[in-house]
Amino acid sequence: MVNVASDPPTETATELHRGTDGDGDGLATDPRSRLDWMDRRLLGVCATSVVVVLASLLVQVSFGSYQMSLGQAWFSVFDADVWYHPATLASFLLGDGLTRTVFGLDAAWEPHELVTATNVVWNVRIPRVAVAAFVGANLAVSGVIFQALTRNELASPFVLGVSSGAGLAVLLSLVVFTVSTAFLPLFAALGGTLAFLLVYAISWEGGTSPVRLVLAGVVVSTVFQSLQTAVFLLAQDVGTVQTAIVWLTGSLTGKDWEQVRVVAPWTLAVVVPGSLLAAKQLNVLALGERTAASLGMRVERVRFGLSAIAIVAAAASIAVAGVVSFVGLVVPHLVRNVVGHDHRRLVVGSLFAGAALVVAADVGARLGVQFATGGSGQLPVGILTGLIGGPYFLYRMRVSDGVGGLR
Amino acid sequence: MSDRVAPDVDDRRDGDADRVRDASDDSADSADPALSGIDLAVGYPSTEEPVVEADRVVLPRGEVTALVGPNGSGKSTLLRAFADELEPERGVAYLDGRDVQDYDAGDLARRLGVLAQENDPPAGITVEDLVFHGRYPHQGFFDRPDETDVAAVERAMARAGVTHLADSEVGELSGGQKQLAWLAMALAQETDVLLLDEPTNHLDLRHQLRVLDVIRELNDDDDVTLGVVLHDLEHAVRVADNLVAMRDGAPYDWGPPANVLTEALLADVFGVAATVDHGGDAPRVHARRALDDGDRPNETHEG
Repeated sequence: MVNVASDPPTETATELHRGTDGDGDGLATDPRSRLDWMDRRLLGVCATSVVVVLASLLVQVSFGSYQMSLGQAWFSVFDADVWYHPATLASFLLGDGLTRTVFGLDAAWEPHELVTATNVVWNVRIPRVAVAAFVGANLAVSGVIFQALTRNELASPFVLGVSSGAGLAVLLSLVVFTVSTAFLPLFAALGGTLAFLLVYAISWEGGTSPVRLVLAGVVVSTVFQSLQTAVFLLAQDVGTVQTAIVWLTGSLTGKDWEQVRVVAPWTLAVVVPGSLLAAKQLNVLALGERTAASLGMRVERVRFGLSAIAIVAAAASIAVAGVVSFVGLVVPHLVRNVVGHDHRRLVVGSLFAGAALVVAADVGARLGVQFATGGSGQLPVGILTGLIGGPYFLYRMRVSDGVGGLR
Repeated sequence: MSDRVAPDVDDRRDGDADRVRDASDDSADSADPALSGIDLAVGYPSTEEPVVEADRVVLPRGEVTALVGPNGSGKSTLLRAFADELEPERGVAYLDGRDVQDYDAGDLARRLGVLAQENDPPAGITVEDLVFHGRYPHQGFFDRPDETDVAAVERAMARAGVTHLADSEVGELSGGQKQLAWLAMALAQETDVLLLDEPTNHLDLRHQLRVLDVIRELNDDDDVTLGVVLHDLEHAVRVADNLVAMRDGAPYDWGPPANVLTEALLADVFGVAATVDHGGDAPRVHARRALDDGDRPNETHEG
């Protein structure tokens, strides 16, 4: 494992205190200032992630089945029709209805008419990257929290059955009854919660262990996946079945601003602030349940709140992109190797790296087939993340025997 | 010997002429104990019968009390009831005259610290970061460590003698250094009462003595009330103002080591034939041999 690099300012400050040998009077400055945990490695992870996202955006915007030149593509990005019409720009994020309210426009208002190239870039290519970023960030953070909660590096929303529970819920909403898309994440969260509670109940025996949790997760996942298959049989229409299959693999094909509008509020209002606030609790919880309790933490309450954040995160991404596998498992590992085990760094790093991984994988999923075979097909991004994540995880298991708490 | 009734703590105190340690600073302690258990019965969800049943057990304020007894005599269980980790099936554990269960979790953690027997440090954590966690009950939900916290952490690390290890990873330290690091975390909590569950277990001799020294210093310098589960009677004599000898889940006898440590008690509670040398300033136990079960009139199973 990689050592955590400590931040130089802290080190100097600590040296100073050591000089005074704990009499505490000579403390001129507070060495643990607000951002001292923001060390260079974390900044490195974030910067790399931003570069990866921007590079992927560049590629995604420039290429695609609608043929246009690079110049044309980038002219479209900076198309004055978009940038000089704030209401049109806002309508991407807010939707037409809300834009009318916010800008005080009448019901007859429509977003500015865009030329085809601009339309493709702004309504197909850019939002897809945005959805990918949100999905990745959510799944990664969900993985971080689940791994800390279960003290198990094998844990992820996927392993713990949350994904299959949320998946079943969304599948039901596709096939059996309709749920308004805005509430789809909530509905998915309900399924995820149900699955997670089941996993916890099955593995509970006056306490639970990492191995039992994973085993229970496998059992519950299998049951929920059987139910998913059963739902297929209910579907009369082949098209619905096909949609459902693509969706269960985790796909970003055809995702646009509507999905951004679904996933963004949950991410920005719940997941990001929640996980940042939770980081300190995660660190204390990592000391073990008894120690956390002896430090005055209401362990059950905190664990409940943290589970809720992790489930909402997983559910929000599943609601828009389906079950994109391995992101929640692999990203926390990757980031941990670089920034260490402090959850304050881990959460921030995973938000960025998760977004980068899915955005980059989606480049492969969307354009890979075209480049490789010259065909026009697209792969679901979940296949790509599985192809990257599976081998990476196997590799980690081989090189470190600490994975999964099976020391 | 089973009919021997332990005298009430108060009686024992009053007639006590040869207290090992100076009692002038805590003459009122038995009237106002830091921790006391009345009519306690404590068990685990998995056990039918309570593991501990104590009519009255007291940890006097400002003193070090060692809980001694053989394996399974309920020492740790009693400690966990005082720390509000186990809910008594009957009776009440009081901290400063108030039921420990009535305290808000954070409030309790600012008054009473506990160090469990087994502690598994999270991967990659440094000693300093670990000790900073001791400040958790003193910080609000949104707070970052302030100067008070930094000073408390520095003091705790100095007290436990781990200042030079501040940037080391806890997982890579020796068992003794690890224990001192965890102790420093509990010290950073800056509580008036501290409960330690077998803090010298599995440590080499040097670190055992280091831990005992820290306990002594905490009491002498900071007037912390300590409840310490100890296996080794010699250790208990070394640090404790009071012993509580536990047998089969009940306090068998208690009081200053010089009064409690008798040959009869060693035979009854510990099942060893021993002589006790009261000559020095502290009693010395010379264990001769383990008694056969037949020699012990009141041998029961170990709960």
